[in-house]
Amino acid sequence: MTSRSAAVCLAFAAGFGVVSTTTAAPQTFNTALPVAEGEFVFREQFVYRKATDDPSPADRELQVLGGVSVLGYGVTGDLAVFGVLPYLDKELDATTPGGRVTRDTSGTADARLFGRYTVYKANAPGRTFRIAPFLGVEMPTGDDNDRDSLGSLPAPLQLGSGSWDGFGGIVLTYQTLDYQIDAQASYTLNTEANNFEFGDEARLDTSLQYRVWPQELDAGTPGFLYAVVEGNIFYMDNNQLNGIKDPNSGGTTLFLSPGLQYVTKRWIIEGIVQLPVSQDLNGTALEDDFIVRAGFRINF
Amino acid sequence: MTSIARPVKAFHALIVALALGFLFAVSATAAEDQAVYTLQADGLACPFCAYGIEKQLNHIDGVKSVETDVKSGTVIITMKPGATLDEADANRAVEAAGFSMREFRKKDDEA
Repeated sequence: MTSRSAAVCLAFAAGFGVVSTTTAAPQTFNTALPVAEGEFVFREQFVYRKATDDPSPADRELQVLGGVSVLGYGVTGDLAVFGVLPYLDKELDATTPGGRVTRDTSGTADARLFGRYTVYKANAPGRTFRIAPFLGVEMPTGDDNDRDSLGSLPAPLQLGSGSWDGFGGIVLTYQTLDYQIDAQASYTLNTEANNFEFGDEARLDTSLQYRVWPQELDAGTPGFLYAVVEGNIFYMDNNQLNGIKDPNSGGTTLFLSPGLQYVTKRWIIEGIVQLPVSQDLNGTALEDDFIVRAGFRINF
Repeated sequence: MTSIARPVKAFHALIVALALGFLFAVSATAAEDQAVYTLQADGLACPFCAYGIEKQLNHIDGVKSVETDVKSGTVIITMKPGATLDEADANRAVEAAGFSMREFRKKDDEA
């Protein structure tokens, strides 16, 4: 398994956690989660990722199963803080000179803390537009020195990076009674730990949520069923081991993701499948098959 | 016996009538004392938003219930008997939920 694929896995599983005081919110990124002043929002997302498209003779197969817990709190109407804690079970099968081997690990991965501040807000009847930058840190809470009978696990398979990494970006939300569009640009600056450094990550994300039911709104506050399409472009620089770039890591991946979301006043259930429609990865980096996300969200 | 029973029955009927009258008067007074306000919240566009604005308004002392109509962006606030809602407090609650208050009026003022 290349460092790049595992790093992307971690990035996916951890997600970005930010919030805005709007609505339904995307599923492949957390930066547009809504929370009002003095309130909490909790999202639990179950993630399953499979990556088996291996251009190398190792015939690697990676499976990641996990849950990502996100807790947000509205400090004011414009300022919200979030924590993201992933729990992951990672398993890698690969062919080695000694035969087929399986290496796995499970536990809490690196946690993320971040804040988001809405710098621009334009509200009108039945619609809103918001711009909110966010800034956060990924903390080395996951085990970065796990071992098995073959020795220490490779850095990308570890649950944690061992490093303190900063990230930031901006999220835009436009919402009407019929649909919502979110867009996010973000950058993660990864630092070195254990002589290993994941490549920096840049991503562009967008999400369209279109209300398909009810088609005509009645009085009151009915539940909304949204059809969802999201797109994510990930770019990751090469990882570095002892200061030397790994040529089989990093690259660009484009995901397109159909999904559904049912939204009520207090809770939301949602699910989405991320499909890699384009993968331009360096060297023999392992390519993704798909990522499934399903979960719920509550206000309290 | 018959001559005694009639006044007793009449007395019972009078008591029941007085009790019903008292209950009616009390409930009518309570209903009159329950002020109802409506406001228009700009930016309200989905059910999940409605929870935030309702919760913020429910934090205000004297609020009995809050109902939201997402389509029109209208929020109806019913107060406890004798309580009133200050416009500044309502505006503060709407802003805290992330929205903007466009109109605020007491229901009696709408006519």
